Amino acid sequence: MTTAVTNKEIIKEKQLPKGKNLTTKDRLIKVDRKDAKLALAHMYVAFTALLVGGLAGLLQVFVRSGAFQLPFGIGYYQILTVHGVLLGLILTTYFIMGFQLAAVSRTAGALSNTQRKLGWIGFWLMTIGTVAAATMVLLNEASVLYTFYAPLQAHWIFYAGLALVVVGSWIEGLSQIMRYVQWRKENKGQTSPLLAFMAVVNNLMWFVASLGVAIEVLFQLLPWSLGLVERIDVLLSRTLFWYFGHALVYFWLLPAYMVWYVVIPKVIGGKLFSDALARLSFMLFLLFSIPVGVHHQLTEPGIDGFWKFLQVVLTFFVIVPSLMTAFSMFATFELRGRELGGKGVLGWFRQLPWKDSRFLVPFIGMVAFIPGGAGGIVNASYQMNQLIHNTIWVTGHFHLTIATAVVLTYFGAAFWLIPHLTGRTLTSRMNSLANTAGILWAVGMFIMSGAMHIAGLLGAPRRSEYSTYGGSEQAAEWISYQFAQAIGGTILFISILVIIGVVVNLLWFAPKGEEEFPVAEVAEGGGSTPAILENFKVWGVILVALILIAYTFPIFDILSNSPAGSTGFKLW
Amino acid sequence: MANHKKTSDDNLKGTLYATFGIGIIIIVIWALCFNLFIDRF
Repeated sequence: MTTAVTNKEIIKEKQLPKGKNLTTKDRLIKVDRKDAKLALAHMYVAFTALLVGGLAGLLQVFVRSGAFQLPFGIGYYQILTVHGVLLGLILTTYFIMGFQLAAVSRTAGALSNTQRKLGWIGFWLMTIGTVAAATMVLLNEASVLYTFYAPLQAHWIFYAGLALVVVGSWIEGLSQIMRYVQWRKENKGQTSPLLAFMAVVNNLMWFVASLGVAIEVLFQLLPWSLGLVERIDVLLSRTLFWYFGHALVYFWLLPAYMVWYVVIPKVIGGKLFSDALARLSFMLFLLFSIPVGVHHQLTEPGIDGFWKFLQVVLTFFVIVPSLMTAFSMFATFELRGRELGGKGVLGWFRQLPWKDSRFLVPFIGMVAFIPGGAGGIVNASYQMNQLIHNTIWVTGHFHLTIATAVVLTYFGAAFWLIPHLTGRTLTSRMNSLANTAGILWAVGMFIMSGAMHIAGLLGAPRRSEYSTYGGSEQAAEWISYQFAQAIGGTILFISILVIIGVVVNLLWFAPKGEEEFPVAEVAEGGGSTPAILENFKVWGVILVALILIAYTFPIFDILSNSPAGSTGFKLW
Repeated sequence: MANHKKTSDDNLKGTLYATFGIGIIIIVIWALCFNLFIDRF
């Protein structure tokens, strides 16, 4: 889909030599070519991870149906680890870093040589770490799933590899923050570009959150797996993991919100409803993403009920920016739909560009986020957590949130970002294929995730391999839902193949041309943005205070009542 | 000043309904699960 030449955002006339006319290329704001190369490197890894991780997912649902056995001695928990690590950690982190880098370069300006060099260093550290961790999983030395809970013990190279991925992402995030700081120095007193601001918030949240997993890996898992210490404090390791693990969910989600707030309004020809509302919601996500990890540990002994309750309450605050986002999106859609002639209370809805994959595919993701969010509230509801804890309901939940809302938004963004970076265009044929993939995804996920939710309510456990549990009557109730998961998973894999086909086309075969990097302007009457929303010191102090309140006593309790700990187990 | 009667085209009534609609969906799902929880525990 080629972009209209009437893009008003930047006209570089003053920079052109005398007598030279503007070309289409000059009228579009482009990501710097060298930055584009770095961003593209991330896309190669991200979509390779999608293909391999998706295949592992397909094998998993086949095994769980009871009608298929893995060949060549491949273990179920091995492919479960491949699926989780490649899709939950690698696809996401690479896409996010590539997208944010492009977004910062597009809106705050090209990275300096030093900043770009940092970006490449981070990229290669992440890639070395990914190869190291993947090798250990393929050698069946690390079938510990993507949560790598102790006392399951992987080879130390697996943990070191994941640590490198995190350190690499820190360095990349730093390069993006440095570009934002440079912009603010060069434009004192002005409101920063929204996308660059959002990328900075996500990076800051990632820094603070990943400290938990860094401490867990460096001070617990590595010495333990190297044999330097014999035992590990399991509760401490899980608490550190979930301090990181829940914020990880928001690290995935915020780039999707960047697309929803800033890109989608432009794609539909409308404007951002309010810059201030978008920034406030991001700051609220920064505050309430981290001091809430204990809601993943509601059934664990060793953490006092009061602290669990406090973190449940803090978790519920996340509903506020979530509904602010829903309101902002609907307002953007309604304003644009009415401009296009939509009448009545909901008539504007029909006017939206339903055939444009840059809109339709992320929109399917937005719809999936509604039941996904509702399910999340059930998960976090203290006592009600017992209903679904460690059941496959939870797997169904995060396949709606991360594996639909988030990744469909990433794919929708890739359909313009990749051609923007490669200097190609999304043709109408590829656009139709992309829409087909989005619809297939919606159908496949409805079947698979729906079956997971129901089976979970019937008590089916998550993670575990197929079993009749000694002919148990209750386990027999789950079988039909496991078949449904296999059917849904197959449709999802077909969708992945179509998406990979579109991405390959956009990388190497699509016609040369110009594809826009859409960035919306703020609607008239959107109000001014209060400076406090960019005062990171104030929000940082509140964040640290909340983390200290939520975690100081639980961690102190865990340390002071520390048991002897556990030796490592290799059950695969 | 002309007596201008506001219609749904002049405001964000659709947005308001849609946002509240999401809230209602969340509450209904939560209530159904709560019912299951009460039955089971």
